[in-house]
Amino acid sequence: MRLDDNLRLGVRSLTTHRTRASLTVLAMALGTAAVILLSALGEGARQYVLHELNQLGTNLLIVLPGRSETTGGPPPLLGETPRDLTLDDAIAIGRSRLVKRYAPIVVGSAPASFRSLSREVTILGTTSDYLEIHNLKLARGRFLPPGDPQRGRPVVVLGDKLSRELFGHRQSLGRWIRIGDRRFRVIGTLASAGESFGTDMGDLAIVPVASAQALFDSPALFRILAEAPRRSVLPEAKEAIRAISRERHEGEDDVTIITQDALLSTFDRILNAFTLAVAGIAAVSLVVAGVLIMNVMLVAVSQRTAEVGLLKALGAVERQILFLFLTEALLLAGMGTLGGLVLGTLGVHLLNSQLETFRLVVPFWAPVAAAVVSLLTGLAFGMLPALQAARLDPVVALSGHGT
Amino acid sequence: MRGRDFASFTLRAIRAHRTRSLLTVTGIGIGVAAVVILTAIGEGIHRFVLTEFTQFGTNLIAVTPGKTSTLGMSGAMISNVRPLSLDDARALVSAPGVEAMVPMVQGNAAVEGGSRSRRTMVLGVGPRVPEVWQMHPSIGRFLPRDESSSGRALAVLGATLQRELFDSASPLGRRVRIGGEPYRVIGVMEPKGQMLGFDLDDTVFIPVSRALAMFDRESLMEIDLLYAPGADSEAVAEQVAGLLERRHGSVDFTITTQDQMIEVLGSVLDVLTMTVGALGGISLLVGGIGILTIMTIAVRERRREIGLLCALGADRQQILLLFLSEAVALALLGGVAGLAAGVSVTWLMVLAVPALPTHTAWDFVLLAETIAGLIGLVAGVLPALRAAHLDPVEALRDE
Repeated sequence: MRLDDNLRLGVRSLTTHRTRASLTVLAMALGTAAVILLSALGEGARQYVLHELNQLGTNLLIVLPGRSETTGGPPPLLGETPRDLTLDDAIAIGRSRLVKRYAPIVVGSAPASFRSLSREVTILGTTSDYLEIHNLKLARGRFLPPGDPQRGRPVVVLGDKLSRELFGHRQSLGRWIRIGDRRFRVIGTLASAGESFGTDMGDLAIVPVASAQALFDSPALFRILAEAPRRSVLPEAKEAIRAISRERHEGEDDVTIITQDALLSTFDRILNAFTLAVAGIAAVSLVVAGVLIMNVMLVAVSQRTAEVGLLKALGAVERQILFLFLTEALLLAGMGTLGGLVLGTLGVHLLNSQLETFRLVVPFWAPVAAAVVSLLTGLAFGMLPALQAARLDPVVALSGHGT
Repeated sequence: MRGRDFASFTLRAIRAHRTRSLLTVTGIGIGVAAVVILTAIGEGIHRFVLTEFTQFGTNLIAVTPGKTSTLGMSGAMISNVRPLSLDDARALVSAPGVEAMVPMVQGNAAVEGGSRSRRTMVLGVGPRVPEVWQMHPSIGRFLPRDESSSGRALAVLGATLQRELFDSASPLGRRVRIGGEPYRVIGVMEPKGQMLGFDLDDTVFIPVSRALAMFDRESLMEIDLLYAPGADSEAVAEQVAGLLERRHGSVDFTITTQDQMIEVLGSVLDVLTMTVGALGGISLLVGGIGILTIMTIAVRERRREIGLLCALGADRQQILLLFLSEAVALALLGGVAGLAAGVSVTWLMVLAVPALPTHTAWDFVLLAETIAGLIGLVAGVLPALRAAHLDPVEALRDE
């Protein structure tokens, strides 16, 4: 029997039992579509988080005060140390040739007020380079002026939400606002950037680092951001920063340095595992569809016993019969896969047209993996019925009382 | 037809095609098992996280500086213009309903003891930690309670820190240097284990006023209040808020009750369990299509039988019920098999990976069984209707 005969026989037997065949295909399609949709959801989440992290700029090193020696524990993201990280430390780090840009950061909270309107906001003390390190965009005016970071000028850049809350639609540039017990002149407003890892970048006032230190009456920096000129020198830059801080801190190694890279790869790993897990769960439904294919094929074999007997009497060998039924099972699985790919892609498009901030992305491996898995299940579960058909005794089968 | 006949008829139909029924049941069974296993993991994680969070006691109210509406961290934790002072903390004890208070400052410093040194977490706290956080010293005692001695240079070590610095030797009475200043060790805490990957025993407790001086701060990071068991947390929180507002002149602090936090956490984790359950439900749906397919085939094959039943006087409703009950029976059998398989797989998983928190979520199991039955019912409707509307004469003539 030739291959096209084989195919034609398979298609004909499927079209004679249209309901049965289409239901089986539907089951397979649902499973495939579930795999596509869920992996697209996971991949979308991964790209979203990576994008958020990349907004912070790549090649970034984050220097935190304090160091914990617990293995596996998180770095001391919060909390105090007997020896502070100071502005002088930051300037010394900035002098290294392995550091292209740096930004010292002081974070705190204070009430900001304009006339009778007052609001408790996050105050960020930093320098002019923060704008580029953090990839922020200005809506109006300019950012903190460059110059000596030790000098605290009374100027402030407002987040867009804060600007709206204090000034409404009126012009805010050039006005004086009060933060804590000091007065600052508004020189710029940030473009709306939304949330960045839970910190609302809109409800924020950025002031020169020295002004923030004076405001909170503390020389301690919350952290230092340093940018290496190239990705390849990140490890050396990390060592250089460690050496500088050790030298400045009387030989004590009391800072934690996190590279953006390490952070990225950690998130990448976690989210990839998550995507694989949900896709795997969805793939269970492919197995259920496989069981259905086996069931339908078993019914087909038992109904077509006489036909198999006739084929055998005409000289068909076991292998040919086996191929015949396997082809049918694979046709069911294959059509299901195709349908599922179409269904899944449609679903992704539909969701993407509904969602605004979040985009689903079908990862390149998902359609391939879904197709391979569903065809393999079709093959595996089609094997038993096909074998049963192939091993029928022609005489018994012809009489129609086979299995 | 009597009920008993009805049941035996259905069972016989299922038994007649043993392989076919078995496979259909397997399909549904895999779906139910997936739901059972996934929700067991979800529920296990739920319980695990809640115990992690309640190990410090449940009757807690936390006061943190800075006003923030979300559960996110406020910049005020780090620095602020209006500090939450030690005097605030002392004043809060007088609020009605409050039984004990622990002021807290957290930091990181090198601890030198014996001939070794280790950088670790330093917690500046008050003397009431054993009651409020439900942590007790295993040897020695906790920081003394008398007010005058709150600034004395005494330290209580966490279990990990004790092991790292002194091995098995007793550290009681020994001198350690924390952030360069000498302290005397008066106790070692019981091991508390890890919380969310965070070693709670790699710590040292010192009096809060010493910690504030060491870190050169005015503001506490948190005040934890213990209220009487059975008291209304909302009412106590309101009293505390009122008192603090009178002291500060404005609401520049955040109050979180443990109830609130657990409630938020619980609802987030419930959504998680529900989502993984729904993911498992996809397989259940596919299994349902399996039932539909098999029942369609069955009706086709048994046209003669249906014709005969009609000729013998069975009415449409009876035929309908006959096929419906067959579909539901298949689904329920699958449900029971899936439950058994799911529970045993969960059990095996715990055997293989003891760290995996699982807890069979019986409400979801019940839901899965109900849905399985419903899927059987829905999947059975179309084929059963087709069977019921067969023309008896035509059906009997079928070859």
